[in-house]
Amino acid sequence: MKKLILLVTALMIFAVMVTGCKKKAPELSEVDVIKIGVFQPLTGANASGGELEVRGIKLANEMFPDVLGKKIELVIVDNKSDKVESANAAERLVNKDQVAAIIGSWGSSLSMAAGQVTKGKVPVVACSATNPLVTKGNDWYFRVCFLDPFQGQVMANYAFNKVNAKKAAVIQEISNDYSVGLAKFFIDSFVKLTGDEKSIVAKPFSYNTGDNDFTAQLTAIAQLKPDVIFAPGNYTESALIIKQARDQGIKIPFLGGDTWETGPFLEVGKKSVEGATFSTFFTSEVPITKMSEKFLKAYRDKYKEEPAAVTALGFDAYIVIKAAIEKANSIDPEKIKNEIAKTKDFEGSAGMITLDENGDAVKDAVIKVVKDGKFKYLTTVKP
Amino acid sequence: MEREKKIRVVLTVTAAAVAVGLLVLFNLILDSYMMRIVNLCGIYITLALSLNLIYGFTGMFSLGHAGFMAVGAYTTALLTMSPAQKEMNFFLEPIVPWLANVEWSFLPALLMGGVVAAVAGFIIGAPALKLKDDYLAIATLGFAEIIRIFFTNMQSITNGPLGLKGLPPYTNVWWTWGIAFASILFMVFLFKGSYGRAFKAIREDEVAAEAMGINLFRHKMLSFTIGSFMAGVGGGLLGNLMGTIDPLMFRFLLAFNILLIVVLGGMGSITGTVISGIVITVLMEYLRFLDGPMDFYLFSTDGIPGLRMVIFSIMLMVVILFFQKGIMGNREFSWDFLFRPGRFKKNSVEGE
Repeated sequence: MKKLILLVTALMIFAVMVTGCKKKAPELSEVDVIKIGVFQPLTGANASGGELEVRGIKLANEMFPDVLGKKIELVIVDNKSDKVESANAAERLVNKDQVAAIIGSWGSSLSMAAGQVTKGKVPVVACSATNPLVTKGNDWYFRVCFLDPFQGQVMANYAFNKVNAKKAAVIQEISNDYSVGLAKFFIDSFVKLTGDEKSIVAKPFSYNTGDNDFTAQLTAIAQLKPDVIFAPGNYTESALIIKQARDQGIKIPFLGGDTWETGPFLEVGKKSVEGATFSTFFTSEVPITKMSEKFLKAYRDKYKEEPAAVTALGFDAYIVIKAAIEKANSIDPEKIKNEIAKTKDFEGSAGMITLDENGDAVKDAVIKVVKDGKFKYLTTVKP
Repeated sequence: MEREKKIRVVLTVTAAAVAVGLLVLFNLILDSYMMRIVNLCGIYITLALSLNLIYGFTGMFSLGHAGFMAVGAYTTALLTMSPAQKEMNFFLEPIVPWLANVEWSFLPALLMGGVVAAVAGFIIGAPALKLKDDYLAIATLGFAEIIRIFFTNMQSITNGPLGLKGLPPYTNVWWTWGIAFASILFMVFLFKGSYGRAFKAIREDEVAAEAMGINLFRHKMLSFTIGSFMAGVGGGLLGNLMGTIDPLMFRFLLAFNILLIVVLGGMGSITGTVISGIVITVLMEYLRFLDGPMDFYLFSTDGIPGLRMVIFSIMLMVVILFFQKGIMGNREFSWDFLFRPGRFKKNSVEGE
């Protein structure tokens, strides 16, 4: 009998613990701080990417800590680079922390999982999630970076106009949504530019994340004699592809996407990646806007190094939300969402931001090239 | 004795009623964050039970669970998504015509997910179950990876690496826990019957079991296929709870999560699986406060990301050190402790 009583007591304590959990969203006048949620992969496979973005967000928070006369508090949660965890983290920010808006996440699939949860509740601004599905069919999700179709188009233009290429070959990382998307949009644009269905010499050559022998693909490409090779994908594999191509004596120029802009790309590729050209969001060599100057100065003072593109995007996501809260003059998520959607010619650290009807940023792309073992700014491309 | 039996029945019925009552209560008072955890508990119980059937009860060390979940999740997702959603998702390469206009309701889609996963389990099991122990683990792990690579490359059916988004959010607490309860009941009755005993006999000693007249291959295949079916249904539930799936979600790490629940609960214990399924799911979320800023009297931190996982791992190690066979070993819950205090029912090959 004693045990039964114990059981009942335990159940009752449990019931008391969980009651009163449904909270009403607070009004502006009731709160001391305005909360902005951040969900990023801080552990797991994508931790380094998440960390870089959080840096930018924190820096922005230090530079602009107040809005509507109240302090902004960042609630940073880890999504462990895991989809289930990502949805949990977003749900927690919405319901438990009751944030006014959310920033995140590095990695499109993590963002998509969270988008299902936050839709209709809290607006979210992604920093560098480039998969079109993230914002498609979801009015509450925005992003401050451009997406794959535009980047593919930029590189096709570059190949056609600057490299004077008439024929191109494409190598894609089949297990990576980013790479597959970019390859597809490059092919579409390039075919349109040349007006020749056969300007892409063959169906895209594919490899898997983690592969390290690409000689089969490269031998096949060498026989087709394209003028340029477009190979968006993970930086390690891409560097290996270029290295093995040069070892085989293939001298065709390589083009790629923003993922190449990392230290390991240079370390793995060494001399062979000289001349590799890619599009990206941001450059620290030429400040794009006045905000870029402020951002660069603050970042260099604090970290004594050059910022990565995603750090600038994290910074931008924060100031876009802050401006929207200011204009909405409220912490009602619906009003903030409407203000974010209206963002036009907004001065961000990585270029002027205008959001289109899908919530995607329309902005300039930067083209960089590897020269003397460093990334060098080449040119800026208008949308 | 008659009286004792009656009391047991009454107690069991009451416990079931309390459980259902709690779920109703949860549904009324909890916010959607906590409901998500409750739902995940139900799904993980189903998944862990399915692995426990294969590994804990029949003794086949399989690491291919993520693959079967992927099959179930993709089947259910593709069958339940509306044609408009499909068109939006497949913007790179159009979906194959025979799938484009299919839209089923949830139950048949879920069952179909289970059936397709079971078929996959059958095809994979037939050659692989000739292997034992670690070799079987490696083979099943390999098969699960093959399934994932297949899904990555079949762009016009699965949308490849882009994944699917906008799955109808059918999964709720009645589905997850309804199926969890159904799985528990199924397992309980399975192990009261001759098939269950045969499974356990195979786990203890294959040669002896065969000598007793048990058809090894048939029983192993049966256990593996049923396990795959349950994994497929669990995967379907998980997919529609998340609203989005992609091949990367079903890496072998997911199989390890399920394995962790089984081992921690006790291999060959239904009760243990249920307990550890709930404890691990809740704990992972509850420990989140460790990642955030903390204020101790002597010092304060402004948030160490990853501390949660460190503490979680330490707790796991402690539990495994003190309970080397998991929380429940291979014992089961019974009302015996009310009648003969301090004794749990032994549950081994000899039966009751």
